[in-house]
Amino acid sequence: MIKVILTYLLQFVVIILAQLLVFNNIEFSGFINPYIYVLFVLLLPFDTPKLVLLMSAFFIGLSIDLYMGTPGVHSTATVFMAFSRPMVLALFSPREGYQKGTLPRLIQFGPEWFVKYTVMLVLLHHIVLFYLEVFTFHQFFSTFLRVLLSSILTATIIILSQFFIFRK
Amino acid sequence: MKNLVRFIIQHHFLILFLLIESFSLFLLFSANPYQKIRFYNASHKVSGRASLKMENIRDYLSLHSENRKLAEENADLYNQLSSTYKIFQAGSAFPGDSASAGRYSFLTAKVINNTVNKQYNYITIDRGGKSGILPEMAVISSEGVVGVVKSVSENYASVLSLLNRNFTISAKIKKNGYFGPLSWNGNNTAYATLVDIPHHVVFEKGDTVVTSGFGGVFPEGFMVGIIEDSRLKGGNYFEIKVRLSSDFRKLSYLHVIKNEGKPEIDSLENVVVQ
Repeated sequence: MIKVILTYLLQFVVIILAQLLVFNNIEFSGFINPYIYVLFVLLLPFDTPKLVLLMSAFFIGLSIDLYMGTPGVHSTATVFMAFSRPMVLALFSPREGYQKGTLPRLIQFGPEWFVKYTVMLVLLHHIVLFYLEVFTFHQFFSTFLRVLLSSILTATIIILSQFFIFRK
Repeated sequence: MKNLVRFIIQHHFLILFLLIESFSLFLLFSANPYQKIRFYNASHKVSGRASLKMENIRDYLSLHSENRKLAEENADLYNQLSSTYKIFQAGSAFPGDSASAGRYSFLTAKVINNTVNKQYNYITIDRGGKSGILPEMAVISSEGVVGVVKSVSENYASVLSLLNRNFTISAKIKKNGYFGPLSWNGNNTAYATLVDIPHHVVFEKGDTVVTSGFGGVFPEGFMVGIIEDSRLKGGNYFEIKVRLSSDFRKLSYLHVIKNEGKPEIDSLENVVVQ
């Protein structure tokens, strides 16, 4: 149990560092930028206690906020995403349900399931994030374009990363 | 009571979500004007240090182009010297008067954090209150206007970037002196919009837009950009698209400008208003 918690703590730190040091510096035309730190919430086990799920989402969002000087923006979006996770999981549940001892990984449920799962949650996260940041529906479609393009980039990076991190 | 407990147990996920989410939103809203500045100062102490380390690495990689730019900048500054420092001296009847000591003073600072991809962008620089930087001071690069100092901690300062939708400066067309407010529309980092230019004014694509010097923050005549495109809005006023001369993605060394005359101008204007 302690080993599992330590693994996820290490993941937490590594993902934050990757976001802040590498992915924050990626901007295509100042318009699209990937927020891959949501990967942490995606990878939590199926039976994570609800409180742990929401709190870890809050703290990873807050860490990003503290560094970027935008208190509340990322944490609100990430908590919302963590809240939607059980519903998205239920929506894409395989016929026999999620077996005990399995984790939400690409190698366990196949690319199709993982892509659907990732794209859905990343999209939900980015919609909340970008509209909170702009805080107006003025120029709705210009913001929506940013949401779509950034979501595609984030989801692509997350899915590709799975091939490198968890190999058979 | 029993029902209440059962309700809470049944919906504990939703209740937890609402609690944590409202705390997040509370953070978001309370971080407006005053608290925001406090929050920035605290977090900038930490992130400022981290950014400084990263910027040091980045500096080595851009030394070559930076050197060339500094040399050009030095030449520019020599040229500006006589015009900037002697504004009062020229008209003063008393040579040696304290007013002739120079009206604007320049301080060099380095960018340690800079965003261009948001709607409200800020720049962090590595000088703060210890170096004499105060809020409301103008910030320029060697290429043009960059922003205004927003909040200051001991060693760092946060600059409201021109690429921030809360930022407006008074700019004028250099050729004929017609002025209006210039601001960023949040779309493209290379362009800003100059409005309120009357429809009879004649200008062309490629004309220079400079600061007007009104408001006492920016000195007069600093480069803002060049005219790219224009259209009549409501038939009476031009809305002009200005290509910004500073490249906000490559900012590295900036100058913070202190207007020695600003307190005097402000107190004078306050008296008039009263």
